[in-house]
Amino acid sequence: MQEVNVTLTVNQKKYEVTVEPDERLLDTLRDRLNLTGVKEGCSIGECGACTVILDGKAVNSCMVYTFQIDGSEVLTVEGLETNGTLDPLQEAFIDHQAVQCGFCTPGMLMSAKALLNENPNPDRDEIKTAIEGNLCRCTGYQQIIEAIESAANQDRSE
Amino acid sequence: MIEFEALKAQTLDEAVNILDDKENEAKIVAGGTDLLVSIHNESEELKGLNYILDISSVKGLEIIEDNEDYLKLGALCTHSEIIDSVLINEKLPILRKAAQTIGSTQIRNRGTVGGNINNSSPAADLITPLIALGAAVVLHSSNGKRELPLSEFITGPYQNSRKENEILTAVKVPYLPTDYYNNYQKVQRRQAVAIARINLTVLTNIEKNKFKDIRIAFGSATPTAIRFSEIESELENTNINQIDYDKIQEKTGQEMIDITGERWSTPYKKPVVGNLLKRALQEIIKEVQ
Repeated sequence: MQEVNVTLTVNQKKYEVTVEPDERLLDTLRDRLNLTGVKEGCSIGECGACTVILDGKAVNSCMVYTFQIDGSEVLTVEGLETNGTLDPLQEAFIDHQAVQCGFCTPGMLMSAKALLNENPNPDRDEIKTAIEGNLCRCTGYQQIIEAIESAANQDRSE
Repeated sequence: MIEFEALKAQTLDEAVNILDDKENEAKIVAGGTDLLVSIHNESEELKGLNYILDISSVKGLEIIEDNEDYLKLGALCTHSEIIDSVLINEKLPILRKAAQTIGSTQIRNRGTVGGNINNSSPAADLITPLIALGAAVVLHSSNGKRELPLSEFITGPYQNSRKENEILTAVKVPYLPTDYYNNYQKVQRRQAVAIARINLTVLTNIEKNKFKDIRIAFGSATPTAIRFSEIESELENTNINQIDYDKIQEKTGQEMIDITGERWSTPYKKPVVGNLLKRALQEIIKEVQ
């Protein structure tokens, strides 16, 4: 199989990678760039554990071939922190105990981040819609929704 | 494991030339929300696949174009773009309602109109309203382009008349007068990331309390999404306050059986199609009053 050269900006850093045709964005991020915050759950777009922000939109990185997105910008959970300071959304997840086993958390954070980037004042329904593609088997979602609500409120008061 | 070479086209010309070259060996990918699942599951239908042609960067296929009496939706429009389109919300709100029920935010951000039509699932959420609206598909190949009604394009479950060297480039959707009522119903196992067990589009004008030009299209109840013409005739010119729901529900179930025959799911689906239509009609009537 002929490999493909792809340029990506991941967490604001530029990478040139040579990938297999069937290499998913998920594989590139985890195996080549060592960004293991991106989790592989179902591999068929149902659980959202692999959610990243691709050119501003939340997507399942298990459903994108890396060769398709030459020149794109990707944000993963590792990119939420700036200079050792967590994103307010991450702080809110901690404060609201929105994490138990933690497996869904990176995907959940990225779906929430994409929402807040587009809509800084979401209502509860909009939050639920934003995370409807992210399964969490521990928390029952309540704490997660509250965390996202509080991060949104915090943005508003700044 | 399914192995393939990756190909990428930047223009439509490039894409159709590649398809000419690789006829029968290439699959087209854009959003990938169906194809990557099939590849992951090593689906039987992918036998003989040697190339994947990515058309997601092809210019001109992402348009949402307002024409005098129809909307032209480029094949690369995502479900999210449909939901966010002010034009669609104003002129064809039924498409927005249907698109909102698809998958999850992540899937709606990647999945495209072209993919939804091409996959030709009987449960596809956009196909039911497009059938009710009388949409047509546009296909391009190196021989030029052709257009045909969506209802003729789809020939069976997961089957359509697209030739191996053709690309579905757009769908043309005739506008409805804005005073028409529209309703979308979907029965699914859970509220998100679920495929429709049955979906339904009802479009109708109402004049002097009577249904006029009522259109009723079901998905996932028959092998392909289709208008139920007998129940449409039954309801046409009926006063909205004098509907015999028992009769309508019975006849809707019967029409499904007439088209599909008795199947394992019939005992479930027969009452459900009738109930769903009743719910749609009642919601429309509530809007009128």
